[in-house]
Amino acid sequence: MTLVAEEVRIEVPVSGAPKRGVLSRVAARLGNGAIQLLLALVAVFWLVPVFGLLIASLRDESANTATGWWTVFTKPAELTLANYAELVANQAVWQSFLNTFYIAVPATVLVVVMASLASYALSWIEFPGRETLTVVVVGLLVMPIQVALIPVAKLFGAFGLFGTITGVVLFHVAFGLPFAIFLLRNFFAGIPRDLIEAARMDGATEWVIFKRVVLPVAKPAIASLTIFQFLWVWNDMLVALVFADQDSAPITVALRAQLRQFGTNIDLLATGAFLSMIVPLAVFLVFQKYFVQGVLAGSTK
Amino acid sequence: MTAVALRDVSLVHPGGTVAVNDVSLSVADGEFVVLLGPSGCGKSSILRMVAGLQRPTSGQVFLDGVPADDVPARSRGVSMVFQDFALYPHLTVADNIGFPLDVAKRPRDERAERIAEVAEAFGIGDLLDRRPAELSGGQRQRAAMARAIVRGPRVLLMDEPLSNLDAVLRSGLRAEIAGLARSLGLTVLYVTHDQIEAQTMADRIAVLRNGVLEDEGRPDEVYRHPATMHVAAFLGSPRMSLFKAYVQVVVDSHVELHIGGQAIDLPWPDMRARAVAHYDGEDIAVGARTEALRPAAPGSSGPVLKGQVRHLEHHGHETLVSVDVGAWGVEPCGLHELRTGELVLRVRPDVRPVHGEHVGVHLCLEQLHFFDLANGRRIGPRGRRR
Amino acid sequence: MKLRPSVDVAPGRSPRQAIPFLLPALVVLAALVLYPLVFSLIRSFFDATGDEFVGLRNYVDTFTDPRTLTAFRNNVIWVVVAPAAVTGIGLILAVLTERIRWATAFRLVLFMPMAISLFASGIIFRLVYEETPNQGVVNAVLVGVHDMFSPSSQYPGARPREGYTPTEAGFIADAPARAGDTITLPLVGFSPQDVPAQALPASVPAAGNGEVRGVVWLDVSVGGSAGKVDPIERGLPGIAVEAVRDGQVVARTTTGDDGRFTFPDLASGEVAVRLPSSNFALPFRGLTWLGPSLITPVIISSWIWIMTGFAITFIAAGLSAIPRDALEAARVDGATEWQVFRRVTIPLLSPVLLVVFVTLVINVLKIFELVFVIAPGSVQSEANVLALQMWQVSFGTGGDQGAGSALAVILFLLVAPAMLFNIRRFRRERS
Repeated sequence: MTLVAEEVRIEVPVSGAPKRGVLSRVAARLGNGAIQLLLALVAVFWLVPVFGLLIASLRDESANTATGWWTVFTKPAELTLANYAELVANQAVWQSFLNTFYIAVPATVLVVVMASLASYALSWIEFPGRETLTVVVVGLLVMPIQVALIPVAKLFGAFGLFGTITGVVLFHVAFGLPFAIFLLRNFFAGIPRDLIEAARMDGATEWVIFKRVVLPVAKPAIASLTIFQFLWVWNDMLVALVFADQDSAPITVALRAQLRQFGTNIDLLATGAFLSMIVPLAVFLVFQKYFVQGVLAGSTK
Repeated sequence: MTAVALRDVSLVHPGGTVAVNDVSLSVADGEFVVLLGPSGCGKSSILRMVAGLQRPTSGQVFLDGVPADDVPARSRGVSMVFQDFALYPHLTVADNIGFPLDVAKRPRDERAERIAEVAEAFGIGDLLDRRPAELSGGQRQRAAMARAIVRGPRVLLMDEPLSNLDAVLRSGLRAEIAGLARSLGLTVLYVTHDQIEAQTMADRIAVLRNGVLEDEGRPDEVYRHPATMHVAAFLGSPRMSLFKAYVQVVVDSHVELHIGGQAIDLPWPDMRARAVAHYDGEDIAVGARTEALRPAAPGSSGPVLKGQVRHLEHHGHETLVSVDVGAWGVEPCGLHELRTGELVLRVRPDVRPVHGEHVGVHLCLEQLHFFDLANGRRIGPRGRRR
Repeated sequence: MKLRPSVDVAPGRSPRQAIPFLLPALVVLAALVLYPLVFSLIRSFFDATGDEFVGLRNYVDTFTDPRTLTAFRNNVIWVVVAPAAVTGIGLILAVLTERIRWATAFRLVLFMPMAISLFASGIIFRLVYEETPNQGVVNAVLVGVHDMFSPSSQYPGARPREGYTPTEAGFIADAPARAGDTITLPLVGFSPQDVPAQALPASVPAAGNGEVRGVVWLDVSVGGSAGKVDPIERGLPGIAVEAVRDGQVVARTTTGDDGRFTFPDLASGEVAVRLPSSNFALPFRGLTWLGPSLITPVIISSWIWIMTGFAITFIAAGLSAIPRDALEAARVDGATEWQVFRRVTIPLLSPVLLVVFVTLVINVLKIFELVFVIAPGSVQSEANVLALQMWQVSFGTGGDQGAGSALAVILFLLVAPAMLFNIRRFRRERS
């Protein structure tokens, strides 16, 4: 008996840690268990819709019209990659998939290049009107793209850019810039002034400082921006809906025609939607840290 | 030959704050000059104007006798060590040191040779492949200095380079930096708020306060003959005791200084007595460092102030005794610590005074300093050029 | 001494050097964002073709057009409901995830919808809410749960041929019955193929003493005569039959395999025979999620699915930025966990919550793809929102760029407060 009491006393920290009875400790454990269960349920809620889409994309048309995707648990043999094979073989859909790349890649590269150049000037070169310009960019962050659809459509029409990939890219660049500049300027401005001045003292020109000091130091921010912008453009529908024609349409727009008969086109739509999701999902899972940072940094778009 | 000269330089920030007020200063070739002052006194601004990172509002900066107003920082041939070292985090130590050579497009082999040479001089030859994040504070400091001198700058600017290091490292690096600078024949303009750094490293000290150059000279000169009350208080540890004294002239005999209820006599032959005499019937500030004070033997004559022990500070090798002699303290504005006019005595550690004990303090008249209360300036012949 | 502040504080850093850095971005922004903004504003005062100045007419038309008014109403519903819901859910989940070890994985799962396109999310939820229970999972679950508590009827849609009045409780005979009567009850409106296999041919029972007897059968008019039991016709087994007197059920029975039923010992007096409606209830098919009345809540729910991860991550970042000292000080001061949360955490977190909320409001005002994809064409007018209406008016069926420009300008004005909020926040952060 004495021994046990002795042991118990040793276990209690001297510094007056919260003295909790066995009951409350059990309650806390249970409460934590309940929280875990609740959150697990929430997570399942979030996953089920995507999982359903995935399964639907792996079942053929007749299976999808006859029974729900959840019957796959009893009949796993129904799964097939035929939908994907068919979709990839479909020239128009495959072309639209490639178009999505042709749009997203240049729109991302251009935005990153232009925004990092502009952000450098806005954070480290002093010129009259710098404050005003920065504030204007911050203001443009939330500009609805609807404001520009009609005028730019006219403008593109005049320059022969309407219905071209170049036009879609340019529009994305324009509306990607405010956020990109906002994100990069914030990061650039956070670089210690000493570092920039050290480079200046070491004999570097503005261009050299930008290229050899600021860009390498800002790699994380640039990675965030790149991923964010790429996914933003990849996932766009509205811009392409207005500015792309049949040959330059990305996958979202190409699949849109199938929406009319949703019930009978589930196999096609689910497959197409999942095909369009593969790239973002992969990018997200690999670079999720940068993507999340990008979204948090923006928090306005 | 003058390497750096500032002529009537002022800097006013957009908000209207005067950072530097009409400062003229020159640094000779190979000289080590320390700009000393409390934070916000404008010393860093002076450095940045010499560097070309900031343009003076008025006045001119000369480099090698040539006005440098329109020369951008990168073309001034001036390099700088920053307070937090400002090493490029993405480059190795070697590439950090080599950066100034890269942007100057020097040939590769020369670059490698110079890096090795400089790194050797700073004892970081074996750290060349590391990144700044993998270095200790002292190593970063050395890398930053190596980068600053690799180009062979005509002037090296250092902005509180030791303030981010711990005390032990700091005292070691003090001697090292000063030694290296002299052996390499560098012209250095060094900014610090640490008066010990200033005293130990400098060929010449320039003391700044509120953007004004208050005093300038060899460290010992500035210490022994501070031009103003503020300089006097800023230099030396423990701080100089400053207290009020009422001046009363006894014609052809002496000047009486009334301190609290007591008085000391400044004999007429003393050169300073005549100057102090101008303040007949007014208050002046009297300053006394510990060197000017010693415990008075009981019954001894001469300038003695009686008082009570208020505070003891044991330092091991000595004990500092604060004695309240009933004087009013003088507070040079901008330095705000003690309020009572206590005298600080330095005694051997085996002498053990007691709180409240009545003691006499003997003042060495030659080593007292007198200042005008209104403008803080030293009263009397300076004893040195200005 | 009089000194003027330096404007050009750094020599060698002239505006000229900024130009090459700024030029590309500024040209694009000016040509494709700023110029269009001005153009849209001007264009909104001209008619569909752009030839005639019409003043404010486009705006007047916009505010009187029922489709646009629906869009307005929906936008208001969206703004009132959706951002607050997401912020609230996000706050709760962010706080809860602080207590679990797999918080990162959890947040990753909830953040994932942010990565995929609104188009794909739309398809996902179109599938989730699809009406037929063998395609849409929500209705499948609803039907499953419903049938567990009230099993579906055997003869959905069937009804007596004549002489019975449909009521809430079921079909009640117009003519009363008394002991010794024989009741023939032909049913129609049901497919012979769906009659249970065990059904036997129907025959009219002989009258019994003191009993009410009867038969219920499926009366087919093809190959038989209406209202008569024909040899090919089968009785309907398992149908509940009630005898009702003065509104009270006095007896209850069920038909046999040949469709016959008997009320054995009814006391004297009249009763009314009733076939309870449970026999004929149509099977529960779930709710018409994508129909006109539920479409907006459905789309909002999918938006919540998309945005909650953002709110959680943002709020969690805010939570971790709260100094531990403040929380611990409150605990030491004797506050309970709830008080700590209510009095310390929430006030310290409120700027973050505000930013999340405003961001979500901006997002909601621009909502387009989700409505476009989830709402089937027939109910799109019910689910309409301003951004969609703007597209339809100017590029879809409308082709009226004057009205479209007016809508674009209205959209811009709605977002403008958020724009000012951002600018103020930015200015404050800088100073």
